[in-house]
Amino acid sequence: MSQSLSLTRARRTPTTARGPRFGILVAVLLHGAIVAATLFSWQHKLEIADETPPVVPVDLVTLADKTNIAPTVARDVPKTAPDEVKPPEPVPTPPAPAPTPPPPPPQAEAAPEPVPSQPVLPKPAALPKPMLKPPPAPPAEQKKPKADDFSALLNKLTTAPAAPRNARVADRSVRGVGSMNAMTMDLQDALRNQIAQCWSPPVGAPHPEQLRPQFRLQLNRDGTVAGMPQLTLQSAADAAGNPYMRAAIEAARRAIMTCQPYKLPPDKYDTWRDIDSLDFDPSKMVQ
Amino acid sequence: MMKILQLVAALFLTATPALAELHVTVDQGNQQPLPIAIPDFAAPAAGDAVVGQNIAKVVRADLDRSGLFRTLDPKSFIDRSLSVGATPDFANWRVINAQALVVGQAETQGDGRLRVEFRLWDVYGGGPAMISQQYTATADNWRRIAHIIADAIYERITGEKGYFDTRIVFISESGPPLARKKRLAIMDQDGANPIFLTDGSYMVLTPRFNPTAQMIAYMSYIGRKPHVYLFDIDSGRQENLGNFPNMTFSPRFSPDGNKVAMSLESGGNSDIFVMDLRTRAITRLTSDPGIDTSPSFSPDGTQIAFESDRGGSQQIYVMNADGSNQHRISFASGRSGTPVWSPRGDLIAFTNQSGGFHIGVMKTDGGGARIITDGWEDEGPTWAPNGRVIMFGRTIRGGRGSQIWSVDVTGRNERRVPTPVDASDPAWSPLIQ
Repeated sequence: MSQSLSLTRARRTPTTARGPRFGILVAVLLHGAIVAATLFSWQHKLEIADETPPVVPVDLVTLADKTNIAPTVARDVPKTAPDEVKPPEPVPTPPAPAPTPPPPPPQAEAAPEPVPSQPVLPKPAALPKPMLKPPPAPPAEQKKPKADDFSALLNKLTTAPAAPRNARVADRSVRGVGSMNAMTMDLQDALRNQIAQCWSPPVGAPHPEQLRPQFRLQLNRDGTVAGMPQLTLQSAADAAGNPYMRAAIEAARRAIMTCQPYKLPPDKYDTWRDIDSLDFDPSKMVQ
Repeated sequence: MMKILQLVAALFLTATPALAELHVTVDQGNQQPLPIAIPDFAAPAAGDAVVGQNIAKVVRADLDRSGLFRTLDPKSFIDRSLSVGATPDFANWRVINAQALVVGQAETQGDGRLRVEFRLWDVYGGGPAMISQQYTATADNWRRIAHIIADAIYERITGEKGYFDTRIVFISESGPPLARKKRLAIMDQDGANPIFLTDGSYMVLTPRFNPTAQMIAYMSYIGRKPHVYLFDIDSGRQENLGNFPNMTFSPRFSPDGNKVAMSLESGGNSDIFVMDLRTRAITRLTSDPGIDTSPSFSPDGTQIAFESDRGGSQQIYVMNADGSNQHRISFASGRSGTPVWSPRGDLIAFTNQSGGFHIGVMKTDGGGARIITDGWEDEGPTWAPNGRVIMFGRTIRGGRGSQIWSVDVTGRNERRVPTPVDASDPAWSPLIQ
């Protein structure tokens, strides 16, 4: 018994000794695999990060357009307008309903073009209406042509809902970003124009284009400046030992203070209460 | 746990987007003179009231004439109980659209000397006074004190050195056109205190100030031979600068005042030479068959601008102070001459002849040339010591005399400088020490 016991112990010990080694090996391999997987995933993330920047310019485009809500709606108008004008064309060629789906996407992308087509809008007064209510319009037209071209009707039914979908998406996305940008731009223009009336920079200084004071400031709801405009650290550093920069800073500060109260939309106070940076750039005023 | 996660997720989903940061860049302005209120300086003693009024009047005139300030009419002032030792109630000055305020006081001391104190306040800036200074001088120097105060205000507001405490040397002209009497004269930059330095028995031309001392170099026809002379303003002593056999003309001091560059004529040709005033040693800088004249040192003394017709027409050239690296820099239409290097070093003023005669400025490499005056015959520019203002001679069309005018380097604020009689060829002094 004792021998058998000892044997069994002896057998057990090697088996248990192999077990941990194997386990460690497996653990190492698994950890290695995890590490490799994480490495791989990081690389993948970096690739994604590289792809994300192109999304940003979309916002910038809406900024550059200087559009507000009204123009974004107007963009949609011409989108559907050509859609509805085009369907009659495929009517004579009913057998192929398939070619119709491809046109909508390019038309939706061509949205920026409608701006020049806006002057056309006043002429066909009926066009805007179908835009606002695309679904009801097609059925009304469907009844008129009787049942000669069912395929044409089908085309209209398929294309009509497709267009509004895109329009809605575009509308929502543009409104969400564009309206904010448009509002910000309006405020920027309003502030810029008002301060410009009071700003008389020292253009006779040597290299006046380099004298660019930068401030932060807060405005009260009545358009007055809360406290004093705060000079940024960079501008404060530039002014040290430079009497020209100091004069430029004081001229800019006088402009801010003398032009108040600023006339800005009260309902947008939350947007213009804090002006994160107010820069003065005299380079265009230098001969 | 799940509820918490759902709650967090809900918060994220329902959160309103952050407000966009507002960044504004102002890149257009409205170039306007600064409205400044300068009440008459207070006078604790009734006898000093006139001095207080006169000082304020001169300060106002200086700043007004610069074109960078607009002094407000004292009649519009609400607060008339100002004290130089107290902080003003700025609301009273904002009401009349003043952006800066000067409060001063003049008092004759027991020793007869005049003590003048003033403060410059930023009406919108709050805080301590921008300047707080006091001057003491003999009573007859009240005008200089006023100019010094105007300089201090100008420098504090614009960042540039002032130029009001300076003088102008010029050629005073009188008599009929065929027997014109040309005398050397000097006056304050605002036209006050004109004094004749020569009696008119000989003709004097092209006076030039020594940038470091109250000394003038000019060309004179004493003995019917045109030569360059030095004139010490304080002593009235005159000295022939080298008894050359031929004509010397168009002198100009080096920035340190130790040398004079000038033209020396020989056989119908003229070249540029430089003389060391201490050793009287003379060095030739140009040796071209063309007419080289009107030398003008750069403020660091390393270069000289001059005019030459070596290329076929009168144009402006630049060379090193030793005469090397001579190259043309003016390419504007017409002829360009009489270059004068700005004391600031950034520009060269010149006379351009294209249709009429006009004053222009260009960068030291010849770029950015622009005409800044529009008279019929404007010539002979001279710089204010701060390099911001140019004075020049203007001949009025139709033989109606010659005058001295000033213009800002930007081409704005063209103004006539009052002179007792006709005047030409001004030369601006450095700041009086």
